[in-house]
Order: sequence, then C-alpha cells, then structure tokens
Amino acid sequence: MIETQGAGMRRRVSFRTRVLTPYAMLAPGIVLFVAFMAAPIVYTVILSLQKRTVTGLGLGANSHKTVFAGFSNYVASFTDPELLGSVLRVLLYGVILIPTMLGLALLFALLLDSRRTRAGGFSRTAIFLPYAVPAVISSLLWGFLYLPDVSPFYDLADALGINAPELLSPSLVTFAIANIALWGGVGFNMIVMYTSLKAVPSEIYEAAKLDGCSEVQIAWRIKIPIIAPALVMTALFSMIATLQVFAEPTTLRPLSNSLSTSWSPLMLVYRDAFTRNDIYSAAATSVVIALGTFIISFLFLRVVQKRAFGQED
Amino acid sequence: MRRSLRTAAVATAAAAALLMTGCSAGTSHDSGDTNQKVNLTYWAWAPNLDKVVDIWNKSHPNIHVTVNKQDGGDPAVTKLLTAIKAGSGAPDLMQVEYQKLPTLVAADALADLSKTDAVKTKSHFSDGVWSSVTLGGDALYAIPQDTGPMMFFYRADVFDKLGLSVPSTWDEYAADARAIHEADPSVYLGTFSSNDAGWFTGLSQQAGASWWGIDGDAWSVDIDKAPTQKVAKYWGGLVQEGVINNKPMYTPEWNTALNTGKEVGWLSAVWAPGVLSGNAGDTAGKWKVAPMPQWDASNPATGNWGGSSTGVTSQSKHVDAAVKFATWLNTDPEAVKALVTTAGIYPADNAAAKQALSKAPDFFSNQPDFYDVAAKVAKTVNPFTYGPNVNVAYSAYNDDFAKAAQSKQQSAFLDAVTQMQKTTTADLKKSGFTVK
Amino acid sequence: MSATTTEVTPGTGRGAASAQKMKRERPKDSAMHEKPSIVSSGILILGAIYCLFPVLWVIMASTKDGSELFSTLTLAPSTHLWSNIVELTQYRDGLFWRWMLNTALYAGVGAIVSTWVSALSGYVLAKFDFPGKGTVFKILLMGVLVPGVILAIPQYFLFAQVGLTNTYWSVLLPQIISPYGIYLARIYAAAAVPNDVIEAARTEGAREMYIFNRIAMPMMAPGLVTIFLFQFVAVWNNFMLPYIMLGNDHLFPITVGLNGLLNQGASAPAMYTLVITGALLSIIPLVILFLVLQRYWRVDLAAGAVKA
Repeated sequence: MIETQGAGMRRRVSFRTRVLTPYAMLAPGIVLFVAFMAAPIVYTVILSLQKRTVTGLGLGANSHKTVFAGFSNYVASFTDPELLGSVLRVLLYGVILIPTMLGLALLFALLLDSRRTRAGGFSRTAIFLPYAVPAVISSLLWGFLYLPDVSPFYDLADALGINAPELLSPSLVTFAIANIALWGGVGFNMIVMYTSLKAVPSEIYEAAKLDGCSEVQIAWRIKIPIIAPALVMTALFSMIATLQVFAEPTTLRPLSNSLSTSWSPLMLVYRDAFTRNDIYSAAATSVVIALGTFIISFLFLRVVQKRAFGQED
Repeated sequence: MRRSLRTAAVATAAAAALLMTGCSAGTSHDSGDTNQKVNLTYWAWAPNLDKVVDIWNKSHPNIHVTVNKQDGGDPAVTKLLTAIKAGSGAPDLMQVEYQKLPTLVAADALADLSKTDAVKTKSHFSDGVWSSVTLGGDALYAIPQDTGPMMFFYRADVFDKLGLSVPSTWDEYAADARAIHEADPSVYLGTFSSNDAGWFTGLSQQAGASWWGIDGDAWSVDIDKAPTQKVAKYWGGLVQEGVINNKPMYTPEWNTALNTGKEVGWLSAVWAPGVLSGNAGDTAGKWKVAPMPQWDASNPATGNWGGSSTGVTSQSKHVDAAVKFATWLNTDPEAVKALVTTAGIYPADNAAAKQALSKAPDFFSNQPDFYDVAAKVAKTVNPFTYGPNVNVAYSAYNDDFAKAAQSKQQSAFLDAVTQMQKTTTADLKKSGFTVK
Repeated sequence: MSATTTEVTPGTGRGAASAQKMKRERPKDSAMHEKPSIVSSGILILGAIYCLFPVLWVIMASTKDGSELFSTLTLAPSTHLWSNIVELTQYRDGLFWRWMLNTALYAGVGAIVSTWVSALSGYVLAKFDFPGKGTVFKILLMGVLVPGVILAIPQYFLFAQVGLTNTYWSVLLPQIISPYGIYLARIYAAAAVPNDVIEAARTEGAREMYIFNRIAMPMMAPGLVTIFLFQFVAVWNNFMLPYIMLGNDHLFPITVGLNGLLNQGASAPAMYTLVITGALLSIIPLVILFLVLQRYWRVDLAAGAVKA
C-alpha cells in the first residue's frame, strides 16, 4: 500500500517537509473549500437557527427583527407534511429512475465492450451526447415532446390510431421527469462502466472463452463482478443526484397542473427561500436534506460493501 | 414585438458602462451635488426599456442610467430581496409590479419618496393607481408606470361564423363558451390557468374582492369571501362542464391553440396585443377587444392584471437623481410616448397616455378604437389591497388551483379558495404579523 | 463514502480472482466468436436513437418561424433557420453571443483552474503521508453531499459582504472547488504516478511544486482531461449560482440567458423560436469538444475506490 511505502520513503525528512509542504500544496484547495463550501454551510446552519419577527403592519424600516429561534425551524421542517410528501415523491422517482438508468447504462457498456457489436463508436457518442445538454434546456425540449398538441409522439400515435395517455398527467408525470434525467444521465454512467470494463486485461476474457463461456456468461460471471465497485459508485452518485432533483420538475411545472411548487425537497427549499421569502425555514430544510443525503449514502455504502465486496476480505 | 427586436439599437456605450457599474454596484458618493456625474442602475423587464432610457441618457449627461434587463417581475423581486438581505448588490431603481410593493416595503427594500419631488407627480395619476403606490398611507414607495386593466379578447371571425354576440355578462360568456365548444369539441373560448395567479386576482378584483385589508395595526386576509368564491364557483362550473379548458396559459400548447384557432378567446389585459402578436402573429386582424363580461351589467367593473411602477431601492445612494429619472420616465410626454411605442406598455399617466395612444397597436389595426375601449375600461378598475405576502398567496394559488383544475370538480375550486386563505393567513401569523 | 476509500490498483486482483472461478465453469457454446451480433448492435442503435431524437427535434424546430413552430407537423423542417439565427443575433445587439462567450469563460477558465487545483490536491492526498490526511480528504468529500441550490444563497450573502455579487468572480470562484475532481485526481495520481519517480526527482533536488507541475501532471494528463470535461459540463449546466449571483444580463451564461427569454412575465410572449435556436447553437460547441476529447473520457469513478 502506498501509505506504508510513503512512510518508509520519508523516514529521515524534517517536520517541515513532512507536514508543512503537503499542507502548503493543499492550501488552494482548502482555502477554496473553506470559503465557498464550508463557510456557506456554516452560514446556512446559523440561518436555520434564526427567524424574523414583525412589529405592527410590518411596513417601513425597523419593523423587522431577526431573532434566535432555537430548533423551531427544524421542528417545523420535520413535521411539515409537504416536506414528507416531497421526499416520498422523490423516493418513488428514484426507484423508477436509478435501476432503469443504471441497468441501461450497464447494458450499453457491456454491449460496447463486446467484440461482436458494430456501430459502437457512433452509439457511444450519441448516447453520451445528452450529458452535454444542460438540464434546463433538456427539460424544455422534453416539455415540447410531452405536450400533446406540439409533440411528434402524439402525431405518431394519432396516425396509428392509438389514444396515447397524457404524459404530464399526475399519474405519469413522475415517469416523465425520470425520463429526462435518464436521457441526460445514462450516457455518463455508461462511460463510467465502460471505462471500468476497459481496465480489465483481455487475457481474462480469452481464458474464459477458451473454456467455452458465452458472451452472456462472461458478462454475467466476470465483467459485472469486476466492475461492481463502479456500479456501486454510480449508484451512490445517482442517489445523491436523485435526492437533489430540481431543474427538471421546475422547468416542467408551468406546463401542466400536475406538479406542485413543493414537488421535490429542493423545490420546497427554493419556494420557501425565494417565493415565500422565508430564508430561515429554507435553511433548516436544507440542513435536514443534506443530513438525510449523508445518512442514506452512508447506509447504502455499509450495506453494499458487505454484500458486494465481502468475499474479498 | 418581433419587429421592434429587429430595429437595431445603439447601446454599445450603455453596455460598456454596464460592465463597469456591474462591478462597482453599491460603492458611490453623495447625491446632493447635481453637477457630479451619477451612474444609476435600473432593474426592469419591460421589453426595450433600455431604448427609452437611451433617450434620457442623451439629454441628461450627468445622470446616466443603465438598464439591467430582468426575467420578469418574480425573479427580479427575488433578486432584490436577496440583495437587500445581503446588504449590498441592489440597483438604484427597480420596476415593481403593484402587487409586489407591500412585500418589498415589508422587507424595507424601497426608499420612502414622500419627502422628495416624486410627490409632485400625483396629479398625473388616477386616485386608484396612486393609492397602490402609497399603500394608502402617508409614505410614497414608487412612481406609477403602467397599468393592466383587464379586457376580453376574442376571435371576431369565429364569433361571426357561429353567429354569436360578444358577451356582456358572465352568463353570456358561459353560453358562448358552450356554443363554441359544441360547434367543435376541440375548440374552447378560454382556459382556466392555474399558473397565472395574477389573472385570477384580476378576475376576483372585478367581482369586488380585495384579498388583504388593513385594520389599525393588523392585517386581514379576505380571500375566502363571497366575491372570490363566486369567481371560483363560476370557473369550476365551466371546467366541470368541460366547456372551458383546464390547461395553463403560456405553454407551448397554449401557443399552438392560439395559432390553430383552438382557443378563440382570452381574458387578458391591455398589453395582450404584444403577447398575441408574439405567440400567434399569423392571426393578426382576426382578433377584437371588448370590455370584460360583467357580473352586474349596470355597474361595469374590471380588474388589473399586471401593471408596474418605478421604485427607488433603500440601498440607493442617489435617491434624488433616481427620482428625477423616474419622474421623467413616467410623466414626460416624450418618455411616455416612447414607453408606448417601443416598450409596448399602457402608461399610468392619464394625460400623457391619451396623447401617446392615438393609434391602435398593429396587431389590432382592424380595430381603430382599441385604446378608446381601453381608456373606458381603465376607469372602471375596482379597488384592491395587496398584502405583504402576495407571493405566498400566489404560490398557494398555483398549487391549490392546479389540483382543482386537474380534478375538474366545481367543489374542488371552492376548496382551493379556502386552502389559499388558510396558507396565506398561516404564513402571516408565522412571520409575526397581527392578523384579524 | 469517504470512510471506505483506500488505494488499490484498478481491477486486476479482483478480476484474476473471478477468472479463477470461471475456469471451473462448464464449456457450453464455443462456436460463437467475434461474429457481429445484430441484436447487440441493434440495442445500442436503439439507445442512440432515443438519445438523438430530441436533438433531431431541436434541429427541426429551429428551422421554423414563430407561427410554424406551433402550427406545422412537428418533425417537418422549414426554411427559417438562418433568419432565426439572425434574429437571435440581433436580439439586444448580439447579447446571445455575449452569453456564449461568458459561458465559455465560466466553463473554460473555471474548469482549467479547477482541474489544476483538483490535480494538486489529489496528488498531495495520494502521494504524501502527513498527519490529518484522512480527515482532510473525508471533509473535502463531504462537499459532494451538499446541493448547489442550497449553497447558492449563503454564497450570495458571503459575496455581498465583499461587494462581489454581480461580477464574473461571483460565478467563477465558487465553482473552482470540486470534491468530485479531487476524488478523481487522487485516484489518477495513485495509479499513474510511480513513487520512485517522485523520489528520484527529490533526490536530484527538485522542488515539490516543480515535481508536481512538470513530472506528475503530465503523467496524470489523460485523467486530468476527464476532470476538465467533468467540471466543464458541471459549470456549463449550473443554473442556480449565476441565476442568483447576477443581476446584469451582460454577465449571464447561456442557461440563465435562455431561461430569461422563456420567462418574460405575463405581459411579454415567451421567445420560443429564439430559445430553441439558441439551445441548438449552444449545444454545438459542447458536441465538438466532446468529439475532440472523446478518447479521454475515462471516468474511473471506482478504481479502487470502494473496498471494505
């Protein structure tokens, strides 16, 4: 392991080299982190412990005061049915999105890696391309494709005599949003998995082939176990992104009656902070969401580590 | 709209100045000395307002105004409130919709102009408009710019073809809606939009609602009262019956409906020609305007949708210069004319408006008396008081009426009104306001 | 996640183990080698069509004028592409192109600096042994968990304290720090820079920064291109930060600018044709960048990342 080697290498060096040099080199990263991530986070926590009070009609200067609120904002967040509702919606959204996205990404990556596939270069670029489209723009595009009167899908369905369901109706809108995220994300995850597959020495496959394994068997028994760590990481990052879904539903919301201003937890934060001008509640909800994300990520890693990597220890 | 976009503008100097002021907002000097060159920033979203401001900049070398175009009223207010909380970053001047004034005043975002020359503009405006910038008190928070009296826009060709007369009451409107939908089930006279709280507010205002009230040191919330209930019940009935569409306005689908003649009427405001020509330019000449259908034909009334004023922010270091500019912009005949012709708005200044609005907008060239109708309607705008949490009520409208419109149940529309009342009241109480 | 990160050489050990197991499998079908498979190619092409379809729609839609967009068959092309581009260019004296340049600045400069900072931090975390190293890395990684939407508001407040809101800096600076980038750089440094090379350079008296800039960075180069692209896309996609920070639309990036054209408020029509044409034009440079740098896209998120 590198760490032990490093310790051996630097047995005789001074404190200066051993401690000051690495920290000096880390300084840009640490300073930027403190200024633009840590400080805002601390600031958010401070805001979350405050609230504003009004005297009289609240009009004019000096009619407002910011006071310490204790944990009342947190109590409000935890007991807010809207927050609970948005979390449940997003969980459903994640259950739809993550397996589909990672499953397709894995399928595509395996097919790209298979020597029997043609048109790989073209497909890889095409599938990856949507990653370059900002979510705000991709949601607008899909919005057009979802609305019956402007969508080619409905033209097609009409031509075929099918009575296509409304994609932005309350029952389907979660799928509609998941589809946008799928479109934008499948290529990125595919590339991650494909990169992992490429890192595997081909002799292993040769050996398996000589033993008469089929492509599917090789994929299932060799490739997938090998890239399991990549799968875990893509799943983790997808989960974090899912909990933070914001741009897609926000862009789609005005197009139908199906999405509320608190559809996802971050939309709720945005509404509280900006529309309702209650930055203190928004800060408390933000902290709750960040902590929730942390706990879910942590639990996920604990569970999958045991199952996916247990055999190696 | 599109035509004016094509007209080339000379704004290179303005752009350069913009870059500089953009980096130095908030640092400036005292405003007393009129010979000192002053740079003002102005957040506004009315289209082409920068061209109107160019006229000012040419004739007033000592007070240079730079327009920062915003994405409409809501985002601009959001940014201003953030800048106010942060203590810096706000512009000097701000285009503010009337309904946002109490919110901004409550956040201490606007300077009180009652001790400045701005009070001298009072004679230019009607009492109703003036009261919305004073919030009924002694202070003055903005100078009125434009108003949006609501009117009924309809496809005259379709009405003629079906032999329908223009509705003068809401009952007639309902009858026309039925006739039109019956003649072709894919066609609607209008839609109930859960996305446009300002539209519904205007309709309620017409019916006599005033959603907030001031009683001594306390606010009252009066959303769930007879007038608004009446409006919600009416629209809920039409949507339940299926003769009025339930899709939001301002979507690609709505644009398509306007273009293809699937939506043949629009309850909108005086600024509608700009939207119609931008969204459905090919239907020019087919539309006409009439006063709103009435609840009581003998006592005509309407509401406002849109309309805005020019405020000076509490962070401005140049209040007097800003007032000077805002006064010019909203009351000088040349400026008002430019507001009409290049920015396409309906000025609040009665006399100047009359002079400037001689010719109907191009989109309505088939109706030369367009602005006569507008002027008549504008006199019938009902009074309405906005409260300090309009945004809360509006986002509650979005959520609650979206559910109602989706369900297509009349009772759900009434529930939505009740829910709006609850949300709005609860928010006021939570913020510490006294609520009656 | 941070708790579990230790270096391992990518893949190999584990692969060998699995291959060992495979050898014991029964041979089944040994006839099918290297023959092109219609099914697998077909699935990939279907995936490609799915991903390209909306792009095709944008191309078609951007050839239409305002009325055609809402009245003609959606996938039928028209002839107004050029006039749409001209109109977009004329919109407020070429503001659109200013947005493009701004985006290039934010994403380009931002990503280059971010890549350097990430590379340096990752290199130090991988190749130095110093007290507090694990803690520093864990704390840096926690940044992944905090959504940008949440950070944007307090970031605005902090920038306002120093009067830097509504400037290029307010959008550039916060996006230089990238927990993902540091995480990836650490993996690349561990895998690509041999210790004896560093040690040899030290013996010859090279300064640490020299070693990093001249020796380690070139060795990490392919990975750094990935970090660059990763960060470039992240900045390019970021909507909330510039949306909140900037009041002056001459500083907007393309996403915020186009969003503004779409949301004009009730009394002005949304400029759909301009937005769609703008969306198409804004994707083109990214597509070119992707194609040119395609072979560097190797996001080895997991190489040795997770091991209990």
